[in-house]
Amino acid sequence: MNVIVQTSYYTLYQSAKERSFYVDFGQKMVRMSLCQLLALRYKLMSIPIENHFDGDLNKHGFEVLLLCNKEHLLVLNTYEILDLKQFVEQSFMALGLSVEAETVTI
Amino acid sequence: MKDIARQSMSIKVESMDLLNGQIKMEAHASATYLAMASWCEQNGFFTSAKFFYKQSEEERGHMMKIFEFLVDTGGNPVSPEVTNINHDYSSIVDVFENTLEHEVAVTKSIHNIVKKARELGDLATERFLDWFVLEQVEEENTIRDILDMIEVTGTEGVGLQMIDNQVANWIE
Repeated sequence: MNVIVQTSYYTLYQSAKERSFYVDFGQKMVRMSLCQLLALRYKLMSIPIENHFDGDLNKHGFEVLLLCNKEHLLVLNTYEILDLKQFVEQSFMALGLSVEAETVTI
Repeated sequence: MKDIARQSMSIKVESMDLLNGQIKMEAHASATYLAMASWCEQNGFFTSAKFFYKQSEEERGHMMKIFEFLVDTGGNPVSPEVTNINHDYSSIVDVFENTLEHEVAVTKSIHNIVKKARELGDLATERFLDWFVLEQVEEENTIRDILDMIEVTGTEGVGLQMIDNQVANWIE
């Protein structure tokens, strides 16, 4: 497997043999198709990260993410979410499916 | 190294995001025209109601066209959430003026995606949107013609009834 992108908490691998991707979330390694990566991207885009800095809107500073048709459940804190946003953005750039420059920095 | 990503998807995610935004806009337009049809039915403009039912169907057709394009290119089409549909209009003229404003907004949005696709070198999206660019010329022209007809007919006396009858000319 080839490493495509690595950030503080996550690593993306490509398995040419299986024609799929693997994401190391630290807690677990998850096999993902491109569609599932796109779904993850959409979920992350839908997270109002600014709510993490408002005690009334997000008291605990956690997000629950269900991935791959509810096969995996992740509970992530603010740092992990910010890193995951950056990770996904960089992944799509590295895969040649995005041309936008980074907008999220930790 | 095999390019599995490119083999799975043939447009850029930036184009996909813009097209998902357009899906939402078309769905909003479809719901807005349905609300206009409802207003027309309640206020005795039955021919105009038929016109807006047809417009509502057309907008949904546009939405599905984009949805299917995203499926064909391996993207992730998102079923849109539609909120804030206005049901209050002061007159039939207000209804058609709002329609024109809506169509102009849709045209601007389409043009913006074409420009962005061109910037990204996303030829598939740019060519796909050719049809929409021309369709918007037709849509805007139809509403402008109806507003011109309203201007000529006038809203006094039997004017409103005549206006409603004349709208039939724009129902194919």
